[in-house]
Formats: sequence, structure tokens, C-alpha cells
Amino acid sequence: MSIGMTCDECMQRLDEFVDRELTDAEIREVKLHLEFCGPCEERFQFQSDFKRLVRVCCEQDKAPAALREKLHKILF
Amino acid sequence: MERRVPEVDVTTLVAMPDQETDSAAFSEEALTHLDTLYRGALRLTRDPDRAQDLVQDTYVRALRYQHSYQAGTNMKAWLFAIMRNLFWDRFKGGRQEDLSLDDLGDFALYDTLKDTSAIPETQVLDRIAADEVVKAVEKLPPLHREVVLLVDVEGFSYKDAAEIIGIPIGTVMSRLHRARQQLQKQLYDYALESGIVPAEKTA
Repeated sequence: MSIGMTCDECMQRLDEFVDRELTDAEIREVKLHLEFCGPCEERFQFQSDFKRLVRVCCEQDKAPAALREKLHKILF
Repeated sequence: MERRVPEVDVTTLVAMPDQETDSAAFSEEALTHLDTLYRGALRLTRDPDRAQDLVQDTYVRALRYQHSYQAGTNMKAWLFAIMRNLFWDRFKGGRQEDLSLDDLGDFALYDTLKDTSAIPETQVLDRIAADEVVKAVEKLPPLHREVVLLVDVEGFSYKDAAEIIGIPIGTVMSRLHRARQQLQKQLYDYALESGIVPAEKTA
């Protein structure tokens, strides 16, 4: 059973949905489908968790203090 | 020693105090993006020393071209554009095979786990070590790596990423899609090797 869009149509929006690239109307359509479709909902959740995993893991490094000082001298 | 006396333009003299304030404000704002740029440089160069050089050169160039930056626009995007251009100028001599991606068809980690593993998919993600994710990102060919950096790590929109790189939005989307497949495949292989996903269940 499909509410609004089919599972295939919903899956086509997966990347754009997790990247927040859809319009409000499109988001509503996708969310409506996800509300009634467990498998798609799980799949979308996974993709969004995966995106967050990549961000969190790659965000951990900080610029070395020596570099910051050097740049301070260059910039000011 | 003979010294050349610089020509003095009265209008610039009058504008001086303001320009200095602007320049300080510019530098101040630019420095708030240092950690972000350094992280990006680290992922692009995969080497802390080269990353520091790249970031320093980025700031030097930004300072030189600060007049071309429009106050109030996206400085983070502007700085990233400078940095990736510098990176690619240097990378031109890079090996060609570094630029291509294996064709993985329609690989999706979720589907693979669903079909082959007894462990809930999200638990697999929870057990993947952070440095394995970083390693997988750094293994991506640089064209694909930079899209992941811009969109997934830095949260740029497709449009901003497309402008920073200088490619159409559609190309951002296709590179991102393939990069994620590749990332997921690598992390799946790691999950198998490290026993996070039991190997005997795989078809």
C-alpha cells in the first residue's frame, strides 16, 4: 500500500531529504509516506544516522595552537 | 639608498581608519573558521604538515583578496573555495587512478545489512570506530572526498557546494551519491573484518 507516493518515489528523495534539500511541500509528502511505511522510515533513519556519523567523526580535529598564533601574526 | 615615495591618493587616506577597522573585522571573522578549514585541509591532504601549509596559504590569499569578499555573504564558503582551489593547483600532478571510483552498482549498506546480518543496522553504525570512518573518507578519491566534506561534514547546501567547486548541482548530487556508496562499502568491509558483522551470515 502506498500513501501519497510509492516506496520507489520516496527512495528517490532519500539523499535530498537527509541533506535538507527538499521544499517544504516535498518534505511533507515524504513524511506522510514515512509515517505509514515502516521499511522506508527505517531506511531513511539509517541514512540520516550515517550522515551524522560521518560528520561527527570528521569534526573532531582542532587546528594546532601554533598555527593559530602564526595566523594571528599574519592577519593582524 | 634610494627610496621610491609611494603616490598618495587622498581618497584612500581619508578612507584609512574605516578600512583598518574593516580589515580587522575581516581577519577576526576569517579566524572563526580556522578549525573548520584545518579539518577540511587535513582530510584533503591527509597530512598534518601539508594541512597546516594549505591553511596558512589559504589565509594569506584570503587576506590579499579580501576586497573581493562581500561582507555579509558566506565567508566559510568563500574561504573553502580558496582552499580547494589551492589544493587542486597542487594536486594536478597527482596520479590519475586517485581520481576514479570503483563501480559499486547500487550498493547500500542498509540493504546489505538487512539481507545478510542478524544485527540491527543502527547497532552496526554505533560500533564503527570514529577513526575507521575518517580512514574511509580519506580513502575516497579527492573529487568525491571534497563533496562529502562540503555537504556531510560542513553542512553546505548542494548549491553552495556547487559554487565552491564550480560544477553543476547535478554533479554534486551524483558525486555525493557515489561517494556515500563507496564509504558504506568500505565500512561494511571493515565491519566484516573486525567481526562487527558476523561473516558466516553473509550470502
